[in-house]
Amino acid sequence: MARRGNPARLVIALSVAAVLAVFLLYTSIAGGGTPSLKPSELRGHTGRVSLTGVVTGPVSGDGRNAPLHFRLRDIGGTKAVPVVYEGSRPDLFKRGRDIVLSGELRNGTFVGVPGTLVTKCPSKYAPKKSSSV
Amino acid sequence: MTTALVVAAALAVAAVLLVAAPFLREPRDGDDVLDRRDALDERRLELSEERDRALLALRELEFDHRTGKISDDDYRVLVGEYRRRAAAALRALEPKAARREKVDVQH
Amino acid sequence: MPDVGRATLLVTLGLSLYATGAGAWAARAGRRRLADSAGNALLTALGTSAIAAGVLLVALVRHDFSFTYVADHTSTRLPTGYTISAFWGGQEGSLLLWLLVLSGYSAAAVLLNRRRAPDIAAWSVPVLGGVMTFFALLLVVVASPFATQAPPAEGAGLNPSLQNPYMLAHPPLLYLGYVGLTIPFAFAMGALLAKRTDERWIVATRRWTLVAWTALGIGQLLGSHWAYVEVGWGGFYAWDPVENAALMPWIAATAFLHSVMIQEKRGMLRIWNVLLVVLAFSLSLFGTFLTRSGVVNSIHSFTQSSIGPWFLGFICLVVAFSLALVFARLPLLRSRTRLESLVSREAAFLYNNLLLVAFCLTVLWGVAFPMLSELVRGESRTLGQPYYNFFLRAFGLPLLLLMGIGPLIAWRRASARALSRTFLWPAGVALATGAALVAAGAGSSMPGLVAYTFAAFVMASIVLEFVRGTRAAGSVMTLVGRNRRRYGGYVVHAAIVLLAIGVAGSAYDTTAEGRLRPGQTLETGAWTATYRSLSQERAANALELRARVDLFRDGKPAGTIFPGKNRYFAEAQTSNEMAIHTDWLRAEDVDVIADQINTDGSIYFRVVVKPLVNLIWVAGLVFLLGSLVAMWPDAREQRRLAARYALASA
Repeated sequence: MARRGNPARLVIALSVAAVLAVFLLYTSIAGGGTPSLKPSELRGHTGRVSLTGVVTGPVSGDGRNAPLHFRLRDIGGTKAVPVVYEGSRPDLFKRGRDIVLSGELRNGTFVGVPGTLVTKCPSKYAPKKSSSV
Repeated sequence: MTTALVVAAALAVAAVLLVAAPFLREPRDGDDVLDRRDALDERRLELSEERDRALLALRELEFDHRTGKISDDDYRVLVGEYRRRAAAALRALEPKAARREKVDVQH
Repeated sequence: MPDVGRATLLVTLGLSLYATGAGAWAARAGRRRLADSAGNALLTALGTSAIAAGVLLVALVRHDFSFTYVADHTSTRLPTGYTISAFWGGQEGSLLLWLLVLSGYSAAAVLLNRRRAPDIAAWSVPVLGGVMTFFALLLVVVASPFATQAPPAEGAGLNPSLQNPYMLAHPPLLYLGYVGLTIPFAFAMGALLAKRTDERWIVATRRWTLVAWTALGIGQLLGSHWAYVEVGWGGFYAWDPVENAALMPWIAATAFLHSVMIQEKRGMLRIWNVLLVVLAFSLSLFGTFLTRSGVVNSIHSFTQSSIGPWFLGFICLVVAFSLALVFARLPLLRSRTRLESLVSREAAFLYNNLLLVAFCLTVLWGVAFPMLSELVRGESRTLGQPYYNFFLRAFGLPLLLLMGIGPLIAWRRASARALSRTFLWPAGVALATGAALVAAGAGSSMPGLVAYTFAAFVMASIVLEFVRGTRAAGSVMTLVGRNRRRYGGYVVHAAIVLLAIGVAGSAYDTTAEGRLRPGQTLETGAWTATYRSLSQERAANALELRARVDLFRDGKPAGTIFPGKNRYFAEAQTSNEMAIHTDWLRAEDVDVIADQINTDGSIYFRVVVKPLVNLIWVAGLVFLLGSLVAMWPDAREQRRLAARYALASA
C-alpha cells in the first residue's frame, strides 16, 4: 500500500507546535505565576506573593470592624512576620492554624488582599475550604 | 484473641482452597492449555472486524444520506465503493473450509 | 477484632501477589488451570477485602475507640450516617475503600471475561493483581486502618464541614470513577501482552469505562455543588490541585471514549488509544497521590504523610511498564488506514482529542508548576485562576464548537455543499441568539457571549440530529434503540452545553456586601435583601445561629432565607451555613452569606447573584441520563459481537 504520509500525523504535529506556541506566548505575557513563600523567605520580595504559615502572636481585630492583626510564622520554623488583613475573619481562623494569604510586604508588615485568606483545616486528608472576603 | 486467630486461620484455609480449586479436579477436555489464537484465528478476526466495519460504514452512509448529511451526488459516488468493500469483506470470510487451505497469512 | 482485620489484609496481600505471579506465569506458559487459579485468587481477594471493610465498618458503628482510626474520625455524638462516612474520611479507610472497589471491579471483570476472551483475561489478571498488591501492601505496611490504642473516652469527631449528605455520596462516586479506570487499563495491557491488535479489549471494557467516567463526572459535580453550598464563597470550582486531580483523568477518559470510536469505525489510532488509557489510569493514580501526599499547597491536603513516595514510585513503575510494552508492540499496532480528509468526522474526533489532551496537560502543568518551579528556581510559584481560565477558554470554546460540528459532518469525507446545507439552520440559530444576547446586555463579557453563541449552535445541531433521525427511523424510540451510543452521546453533549452555559453565566455574577443592622438592606442587580432578626437553636452536636433575611426581586417579595453559622461543641469549630435562594424560572441563585456575626447583633453580609448557575446541576442530571442511554445493553450488537469473537476452532 503506497503510504503518502498520513495527514493525521501532520495535524498532530502542527497542533503540538500550536499549543506550545500558545503556552510560550501566555507565560511570556502573563508571567510565570505568583511566588508561594514562607515568612522566612519574604524579605526582599516586592509585589504580590502568596504567603503560607502558622498563625501566632497576639491576634486582634475581626477583619471587618477593625483590621485583623496577627503574626505568621513558618510551619515548623520560628521566623514570624506581622500581618494585617481587612476582610472577614474566617470561621476556622485561630492561633495554631495553617493559613494561606495573598498580599505584599510593606514596611515590614505583610498587608493581605481582602478575600484571599484561606484557612486550612487541621484534619488530615479532609476536604475543606473556608475563605471569606 | 483466640477467636481472631481462628477466624484468620479459617480465612487462610478457605483462600487456599478457592485458589487451588482448579487443580483439585481433572482438567476439562483432558488438556490444560489456555485457548490460544493461531494465525488462522487472527486472520479470521481481522476479516470479521473488516466485514463489520464495512457493513457499519454502509449502514451509516445510508443513514447520513437519509438525514441529509451527504448529498445525492456524493452518495452515488460512495455507495458503490462501500458496497464493493462490504461484498469483498463478506467473501473473504467464507467459505471457511476452503479458507483453511487457501489462506496465506501474510503480514 | 483488629487482628481479624489485619489478618484479612495480609491474606489479601498474599492473594494479590499470587494473582500477579501465578497469573503472569499461567498466561505466558498457556496453562489454563493455573490461569483459573490466579483468577480465583482475585475473586477470593474480593471476599477478604470485604471482610476487612466489614471489620472497620462494625468498629465505626460501635464507636470502638480502641481502633485509632475510629477514635480519630468519629465521636459518640456523631449521627450514624456520618459515622459510616468516616470510613473514607481518613487516609487508611479511604485506601481500604480503594482496595475494596478495585477487588470488586476486578472480580467482575475476570468472571465475565475468563471464558469469553481467555487470552486477554489471562494477561489482565496479573496486571490487576499488581495494582491490588500495591494497595494491599500500603494497607499492611504503611497505613493500616487497624492500629490500636488504649481507648479514649471520646473520639475526635468528624470535621464539621464534612458533616453533610455529600460526604456520603461524593467520595464513593469518585472512587468508583478513579478505580474503574483500572479495568480498561488492565485489559489494554492484557491485550498487548497477549499480542492482540484488534479491538477485543475495547469491546470488553466499553461499559466499564463508561460507568467509571460517569461516576467520576457525577462525583465531581457533587463535589462542586458541595463546595458551592457548604463553603460559602459563592463559587463552585477553584482550580485547586485536589479538584484538578479528579478533572484530569476525567478529561483523559473523555478523549478516550471518543477516540475508540475511530478505532471501531476505521481501525485507526490504535497506539493513541492505548496511550490514552495509560494516561487516564496514571492520572487517576496521580490524583490519588496528590490528594494525600501533601506535596502541593492546597486547601484540601496538607499533611506530609509518608505515603507520597510510595505512590510516586508506583506511578513511575506503571508508566515505565506501559510505555515499554507499547514500544515493544509498536510494529503490531501500526494501523494500515489513513485519514482521508481533514474535513470529516474522523478528523473532527481527532481535533476533539487534541483539544481535550491539550487542556488536560495544561491542568497538569498548572498542578505541577509549584513543584517544578521550586526544583528549578528554588522558589515555589503558583499559577492561579487567570491561567486556568485563559486555557479553559482557549481550548474549551473550540471544543464546544466542535461538539456542534462533529455530528453534522459525514464520515470519511464531507462535501462543501452538504456541509453548508446542514450547517445553515444551526448557524442561523446561533447568530440570532448572539444578536439577541448582545441586545440584552451580555456583551459585557466577550468569552461569555461567545460561549452562549456556540452553545446555541450546538443545541440546534443536536435538535436537528434528533429531528432528522426520527424522520429517517420512524420514531424516537426506534432511533435511540438502534443507535444507543450515538444518541446517548448526543444527550451527554446537550448536558455539556448546559454546563457550559451555567459556567459561562458566572462571568455575569454581581455582588453586594456590607454590615447590616436589623431592618437594613443590600441591593444588587434586580434583587434586594433585608436583614430582619437573629436567632439561635441548639442541635444535637452544634449551636445554630440563623439570620432571617427577606428577599425582593424588582420590589416584589421573593422569599425568606436563613443564612448563619453552626458552632460545633466536640470539635470546637464554626462552620458557615450559606443560604441560597433559587429562582428556577431564571435558573439563577441569590446567595446570602453571613460572613461575620457581631456581638451587637449586626452582621456583615455578602449577597451574590449568580445567573444561570442552576443549569450546571441540571446538566448533571442530563449527563446521567445520556450516559445511561449510551451504556444500555443492545441485544443486536451483543449478538453481532458474540458471533465475531466465537473461536474459530469451536
